[in-house]
Amino acid sequence: MPYGVSMATTATAYLTGFGAYLPGDPVDNDGIVARLGGTDNVTKRIREMILDANGIRQRHYALDESGEPTELNEQLAVKALQSALDDRGIDASRARMLATATTMGDVLVPGFASMVHARLGGGPMQTLSATGVCASSLAALDAAVSKIRLGDHPVALVVGSELPSRSLRQRRFEGFRAGMDSHFLRWMLSDGAGAVVVEFQPHPTKPSLRVDWVRQVSLAHENDVCMRSGMDGPEAAVGHTWQDVGIAEAEARGMFVLRQDVSMLDDLAEAGIQQFQQLVDIGLIDVKHLDHVICHYSTNAFRDVAFDALRRRVPTLDTDRWFSNLETRGNTGSASIFIALEEAWSSGRFQPGETVLLAVPESGRFSFAFAHLTVVAPSTPQGAPE
Amino acid sequence: MTSDTLFDRLADVWIELDEHLERVPVLSRLADGTVTLEDYRRLLFNLRQQVVDGSLWISRAGSNFDIEHFELRTAAIRHAEEEHRDYLMLERDYVAIGGSLEELRAGRKNLGSEALSGYMFHYADRPNPTGLLGAMYIIEGLGAKRAAEWAARFQEVLGLADNQVHFMRYHHEADGEHTGNMNGILTSGIIDDADADEIVRCAQVVARLYALQLEELDN
Repeated sequence: MPYGVSMATTATAYLTGFGAYLPGDPVDNDGIVARLGGTDNVTKRIREMILDANGIRQRHYALDESGEPTELNEQLAVKALQSALDDRGIDASRARMLATATTMGDVLVPGFASMVHARLGGGPMQTLSATGVCASSLAALDAAVSKIRLGDHPVALVVGSELPSRSLRQRRFEGFRAGMDSHFLRWMLSDGAGAVVVEFQPHPTKPSLRVDWVRQVSLAHENDVCMRSGMDGPEAAVGHTWQDVGIAEAEARGMFVLRQDVSMLDDLAEAGIQQFQQLVDIGLIDVKHLDHVICHYSTNAFRDVAFDALRRRVPTLDTDRWFSNLETRGNTGSASIFIALEEAWSSGRFQPGETVLLAVPESGRFSFAFAHLTVVAPSTPQGAPE
Repeated sequence: MTSDTLFDRLADVWIELDEHLERVPVLSRLADGTVTLEDYRRLLFNLRQQVVDGSLWISRAGSNFDIEHFELRTAAIRHAEEEHRDYLMLERDYVAIGGSLEELRAGRKNLGSEALSGYMFHYADRPNPTGLLGAMYIIEGLGAKRAAEWAARFQEVLGLADNQVHFMRYHHEADGEHTGNMNGILTSGIIDDADADEIVRCAQVVARLYALQLEELDN
């Protein structure tokens, strides 16, 4: 009985390489219209109001100056992965698993991870396409971390990648009355990808981030749909999804537009804070030993809500220990947390022994994901084989 | 010397081997906690090249026991069957820590493994190779008494999951059973004094060559 030993021992998962890719030059608020359109006065007013509220000053689009696509989502993913592999100093052939997160791949079929793997190359590997919205990032991370901890794979890759810009262009907003629910996201979302390398050994010569735990929870059982596309209203109904009514009709009814019920967002923030509190209550988060927080949020309005709520619970949390690059990198959905982690990591703000909390609320239908990391110094004498 | 029982004589061989193993570089690094993942990878790589031969020499020995040694033939055939997939476990461990299966399978035996394997095949070719019980005593003893310890220590020092040390963990259990079976044979009365001398001599040679295999990693 090879498995008959009573106490199972797992390995530890470490993040050993970090990468991000943001397509093209940064686009400031004045550069948006050239790419996404929306020149009429009403749209202009709404745009300015939303940009003012979300606080995003710069973002990236995989669109040229006339709004034509320059890259595929899978290309963004591969570039972020390549940058993470370069950071780690290994080749894709070392990876045995790829877990991808995206809200929408480039194509309906096959899965995003298959397309990314094909473009990335390397050898045979396990793939997982996590879908959903922002929190699919940590769902993908969780899967990779779990397989590393089981000892099934020595090296896994995780990428969050988004290219929403092509569906935010004017042509998608014509022929129906676009409400606030679609404008809100149109002027908030942008493109990018972030990736990490996960291994069962720390980086041999540089610091790594040990993954202490990952938790994801859905509260969809008690919440309505908040963010949607492909449906006619907030409730999915038989015969009324984009797949049922015909493509032209679906488009005419605005079903392909990404929408968010902004009236639910206060509840989302509150639920997220409660989830954080529960992790404190069960001891997974020790507020006395929480050094850094990287929180994904869609707009600066929620930065203040989240920061204040955490500050009440974590007295030592000051703005130096709170990281976000929303204002300069935009809201890139499932890519955001990895893009922020990469920037925070390479800024050198984390010291060995310090802890980092990643927090990703997802409005889709209320899900929340958290990951707790600890900075570890390079391992001596043990190390991964080069 | 011959006044000692066979068990006492084998125990002396074991003690000497145990002392020798403490001086084997990879095992002393394991003991003092300075062993590296690369050490573990090399150890698996080197062991694999000899482990693939294990069931071969055991079954060859089985085919050389005549009807007078039917019990030993039975034991050898059964043992060979139990062992002949073991190397696959080792290969999975090797891949699980990041090694390449192609490289592992293309590997060659080190100097110690060549000597050990060559000796075993040579001995197994003899008519009624009863002395091989001494080889079993050493090899199965290492599995039963030391492998789990090594596995646990590698796990502790390197942070390995169970899925990365199957081979060593499994041998603790399987070889414990095998040594139990062998003790039954050694005390069953079918071993005469000449056999006992052969068994002890074979144990001495195998103990030395096994240690050599661990000392000559990659050579």
